[in-house]
Amino acid sequence: MTAAVIVGVLAAAGTYLVLQRGLVRMALGFVLLGHAANVLLVVSGGIHRRGVPIEGETVGRAADPLPQAFTLTAIVIGFGMTAFLLALAFRARRDLGDDDLEGES
Amino acid sequence: MSAGLVGLSLLLLIAAAALAPLFARFLGRDAGYPLAGFFVAALGLLAVHAPAVLDDERVVLSLSWVPGLDVGLVLVLDGLSLLFALLVLAVGAVVMAYSARYLDPEASHVRVYTLLTLFGAAMLGLVLAGDVMLLFVFWELTSVLSYLLIGGRGGGASKAAATRAFLVTGLGGLALFAGLVLMTVVAGTGDVRSILADPGVVAGSSLAPVILALVLAGAFTKSAQFPFHFWLPGAMVAPTPVSTYLHAATMVKAGVYLVARMTPLFAYGGPWRTIIVLVGVTTAVIGASLALKQHDLKELLAYSTVSQLGFLMALAGIGTYAALAAMAAHVLAHALYKATLFMVVGVIDREAGSRDIRELTGLRRAMPWTAGATALAALSMAGIPPFLGFVSKEEAFAAFLGTPGPGWLAPLATTLAAASACLTFAYGARIFDGAFEGPLTQKLFDPRRSFLVPAALTALAGLGLGLAVSRLNPLARAAADAAIGAPGEVDLALWHGLTPALALAAAMVTLGFVLFLLRRRIDRALDPVDLPTSGARVFDRAYDATIALGRRSGAPFTSSVPAVHMGWVLGALATAAVAAWLAWSPGVPPALATDELGADQVVAGLLALGAAGAALARSRIGAVAALGIVGFLVAVLYVLLGGPDLAITQLLVETLTVALVVLVFRKLPRTFAAAGRPRRVAAGGAAVVVGTLAAAGTYAFTGRRGISAAGAYFLRAGPDEAGGRNVVNTILVDFRALDTLGEIAVLAVAAVGVTVLASSALSGAGTRERSLILREATRVLTPGMVLLAVYFLLRGHNAPGGGFIAALIAGATLVLQHLTGGVGQVRRLLPVSPPTLLAAGLLLAVAYGLAGLLLGGHFLQGAIWQIDLSAGTAKLAASLVFDAGVFLVVLGAIAAYLRTFGGDEG
Repeated sequence: MTAAVIVGVLAAAGTYLVLQRGLVRMALGFVLLGHAANVLLVVSGGIHRRGVPIEGETVGRAADPLPQAFTLTAIVIGFGMTAFLLALAFRARRDLGDDDLEGES
Repeated sequence: MSAGLVGLSLLLLIAAAALAPLFARFLGRDAGYPLAGFFVAALGLLAVHAPAVLDDERVVLSLSWVPGLDVGLVLVLDGLSLLFALLVLAVGAVVMAYSARYLDPEASHVRVYTLLTLFGAAMLGLVLAGDVMLLFVFWELTSVLSYLLIGGRGGGASKAAATRAFLVTGLGGLALFAGLVLMTVVAGTGDVRSILADPGVVAGSSLAPVILALVLAGAFTKSAQFPFHFWLPGAMVAPTPVSTYLHAATMVKAGVYLVARMTPLFAYGGPWRTIIVLVGVTTAVIGASLALKQHDLKELLAYSTVSQLGFLMALAGIGTYAALAAMAAHVLAHALYKATLFMVVGVIDREAGSRDIRELTGLRRAMPWTAGATALAALSMAGIPPFLGFVSKEEAFAAFLGTPGPGWLAPLATTLAAASACLTFAYGARIFDGAFEGPLTQKLFDPRRSFLVPAALTALAGLGLGLAVSRLNPLARAAADAAIGAPGEVDLALWHGLTPALALAAAMVTLGFVLFLLRRRIDRALDPVDLPTSGARVFDRAYDATIALGRRSGAPFTSSVPAVHMGWVLGALATAAVAAWLAWSPGVPPALATDELGADQVVAGLLALGAAGAALARSRIGAVAALGIVGFLVAVLYVLLGGPDLAITQLLVETLTVALVVLVFRKLPRTFAAAGRPRRVAAGGAAVVVGTLAAAGTYAFTGRRGISAAGAYFLRAGPDEAGGRNVVNTILVDFRALDTLGEIAVLAVAAVGVTVLASSALSGAGTRERSLILREATRVLTPGMVLLAVYFLLRGHNAPGGGFIAALIAGATLVLQHLTGGVGQVRRLLPVSPPTLLAAGLLLAVAYGLAGLLLGGHFLQGAIWQIDLSAGTAKLAASLVFDAGVFLVVLGAIAAYLRTFGGDEG
């Protein structure tokens, strides 16, 4: 239940941000949406086994390592994505003077 | 003799194409000579098999290619392939030698030589292909290469012509593909010999009309049959060697080849023979009439080619033994005289600076050798004895007179074919008369001998083969045997006695001569005549309409407001989520007893506050601070959930993200541009919907089953099979290393994208005052952090750590350096450029993968090295190499971001 609330809150805040003006706010929104997806991925392995998946932990108690491996790369890829969006904002600032693509209207 | 020689012949041309850039670079335009040598050598390899093939043997080279789809790499050399292979290789060699003198001595010809040689290979593959899918692949290759060769370096006109040619032949190619796929499905095999051995299976099936119509669509477009003929004259913007090779001698004959190859299917029954013959003779007459109207010699030859292709197509369509033998002879005759004429026109164009017969006059006096070659070719084209063109045309008339099928077909086809022959004589005479007769007005000379030799060679071959035409009997017979699938007899000769065909040929020559004498009157009559519409115009209108339709249907989704695009995506996702909920929620198993901790709820509460702050903050610094808090809380959550690797990664990424955002913020206003109230309300509504759905989905689809089978396997097997105790890391670098390789590739691409997007003139060294304390702290910290990164990389397989985390630590070190000394300081610490790091990392990872393959295992299969040290045995997994590749890519990406965002504007 707590996991559901966390994912929901992060998704809601991210959604709100990606619909705002300005590329930087969109980038921040994507970071939050990324958190939501990552947390969902990790908890899909179940939260009733929380042992660290390193040799020595009993199989019955260890957390599912597969979602963790997926999430680890997802975090780094998300970082690449953030950097790309920030580069867009950076470029927009240079070409338009601001990171807002919508002009004055 | 092994069938491998056939494959070797093809390989030789591919090798020549690979070497062509080298030749062109070092020899300039002379590269044509060694390349011509390759064509001759390839022909020599096939010639080894010629005696057997002329005895109706088939040389088959069969390799497995895509066994899952039952597609084989089958090359078959039989009589028909040998005839066309001879054409491809002999004309190819001549054209290469011609190019060596035609092309500009100063310019670079890497492109044209490479593409022309590659085209020769593709065309050879097409006529040798023994599997329908292989045939299609080569077929499309020739279309693509033709596009590239026409488009060349030219401007708008040649690009438009190239596009038109490509779209017509490309759409035909797609039709052919559909036809061949259906054929394969119906026949149960893609092997051409099996399909043709029992034609009833395909031609007698209920799908036969669809299959054969689709195949014909491919053949007719490729061989420029009416009404698709218009792309061929347009293609004449290509350089003369290209026109000679692709658009006169070889590629445009691919359709004729295909119809001849499929003779058993088309002859099985139905209206196909009638359709092909009628389309062919119609094309022959229309092409010849249009040729008579042209003044540009190259255009004239283009329409003449259209006409001759129609003639050949009709012969292939008749499908009788006599017709196929006549087609074989005429294919050779046409290639020889048409190649000569194209090359001569190129010579005239180069020497006299024009191709217009209204401007050219009297060249015979200044360029006697050129005139001689032209005369030989024109006489062969006009069908005058003793040239090969005469023999093939007489044979063709005999075949037309014997057309089977409905009673009216033979007389109609013969009449139209005869009409086209008579027009052919007329325009052939015009070419010679227009350019070479009359008073000489320019000071001109014959070109260098080496420029003229290739054209003279093909012209003389037309005469020589006419005189010794009986020597062609074995080849024509073998070709007809192979096409029909049963042996027969061929008797090519200059004199068959007084036959109806001879009478017809003589009559047409006479009539053609009359037409030539009346040329002024015909010009006056024809000039104002214009077809009500041309294929090119119809095509252009359809093309423009298609583009406009695309623009219109895309319009609702075109907006400069990113939120509009996001709206579509979020709307689609929300709809899918609701649908999934309706479909699956009843079947969801009950939730397992969870052991939620109080700490979970504390984290959730703080996260909600942080997320709300990030969403609602008006100042940029406020937003990024809130974002950082959210990130750290997520890391805490990962610790609670038993994922120390995740937590470390998350913490480091969060630090770097905040650093990057702050670097970008330096250049932006302090506060965000505010959206209007309606937007804020709509965004809020969307946020509530998406948040609710996400929460509901998370609740419904998690925490309801035990550990996944894959997860349990990795936990059990990781330590033994991958040699590492940290199961998450063994998944990343061993079990699912291919995923990781894909991910670091994406990361590298994104880093390059960032660099390109935001590249700007930024000065390297910062001049701002930096905090002394920070600088001293950095100096102390840096060596330790670098060591820490290496330590995390090494231990990653057995404890939390690994390439990702190590690179993030090293990246954090770079950020510290940047804060104290700017980009210059980063460069001093890491003197390697980010793209080098990215490339080195990817190469290392791929090399590691290939090593697994070479050592007899699978791509990315690792080994475990035991290293015996005096203190004991250290187990070192080879996958450490892969992790080092990951490390380099991630570090390269971070360095790229820092250089991009972190520069101080000068």
